Amino acid sequence: MRLWLGLALLAGPLAAQSARARLEGRVPGAAVPALDSLVQQAVAEGLPTEPLIQKALEGGAKQVTAPRIVAAVQLSLGQLRAARDLLIRAGDEPPVTPGEVTTVAWALRRDLPAPVVERVVAALPRPPRASAMHAVADLAAHRFDPDSAADLIIAAIGRGLVRERLLDVSAAAAHELQRGHTHAEALALVRQALPNVPASPKPTRSAVARARRPAAPPP
Amino acid sequence: MNAIDPRIHQVLDGELAPGALSTELRRSVERLVTAVALLAAPLPLPSLEPRVMALIRRPVPSRARRLLRWLATPRSVTFRVRPVWSLAFAAVVAMLTLVPIGHEGPDIGEHEGIAQFVGRFPGAQSVHVVGSFNDWRPGSIALEDVDQDGLWRATVVLPTGAYEYMFVVDGERWVPDHLAERLVSDEFGRENSIVIVRPARR
Repeated sequence: MRLWLGLALLAGPLAAQSARARLEGRVPGAAVPALDSLVQQAVAEGLPTEPLIQKALEGGAKQVTAPRIVAAVQLSLGQLRAARDLLIRAGDEPPVTPGEVTTVAWALRRDLPAPVVERVVAALPRPPRASAMHAVADLAAHRFDPDSAADLIIAAIGRGLVRERLLDVSAAAAHELQRGHTHAEALALVRQALPNVPASPKPTRSAVARARRPAAPPP
Repeated sequence: MNAIDPRIHQVLDGELAPGALSTELRRSVERLVTAVALLAAPLPLPSLEPRVMALIRRPVPSRARRLLRWLATPRSVTFRVRPVWSLAFAAVVAMLTLVPIGHEGPDIGEHEGIAQFVGRFPGAQSVHVVGSFNDWRPGSIALEDVDQDGLWRATVVLPTGAYEYMFVVDGERWVPDHLAERLVSDEFGRENSIVIVRPARR
């Protein structure tokens, strides 16, 4: 028990330390102290730090000014807090896991209304949530009513569709739109067909043969 | 049909002298002799010679043309195959088609998938894809324009998950992926594309 407590107490400072090391040289020097402070706040609140570091690295790569990078990271921290609060409101026991917070923050960033996200969180156990959120967000991006989209994805899980197949549901609905159906008709058709929706094609042998891993970052 | 006077036959057969005939019959004999002479003469074939000469004068077709003509000419080919060999051939074809041969491409883990990035950038010297999968580090994933047709591609093994990314053209121009269906504001005034990498082993 003491060991676990010690490790937990060490994990926060270590994360903050490694974050600083990752940011130095990749973002304007003037931004590092403020970014470091934001990362430490996230650690103190039990929030994931990776989305903050990624946002800072993105700003640095895009040669954005220091104040804008700090503002964007601050905004990301706000989104993570909102995501954590939403999870607790939906019934998750605190402390919520960083993975869940990241998933919900993603869904909110993709413009899914908070009540819809809350409903999905409340309706689904943890494992399929991330895939479900992406599927609902995809449907919303195709201008499906987010509430109806959430209903469809929850129904798909209820009909035994595994999480890896949830994106096939949104793809099937989008396909029905392309075939000339209205949004309501497309949702109804896919719901009727559940759990039999066409599976997306697996990567072909030639694609696998061509695939390569990203080059390792310089030491 | 008018019957020929028997005396004319006799004159033609040399049994009677032409002078023994009347003037009219003698003319008939003369016409018949002329007609026979015409029939006996060889028939001239005025059109044959030019045709033959034209064929002789025609240039010899090139080797490629002759080959093409040979290829285009229908021929019958007969195979004599024992049924057992045709079954063996079918088995080999099925094996080559269905069973992967050797080790192709990288090993793909259970929690990894393949992302394909495609962008149309005619005239570009270099295109890279940069995103949260490579810490926004420009230069680590280069796209290639193998056909020199302005279509740049990269096929990358990534851990499963959702990522934001952009293309960097010629090392300085940041461009979202217009083919991506998912876009999100990057909080810096532009839009990032989103790719969701699903497990390759589904």
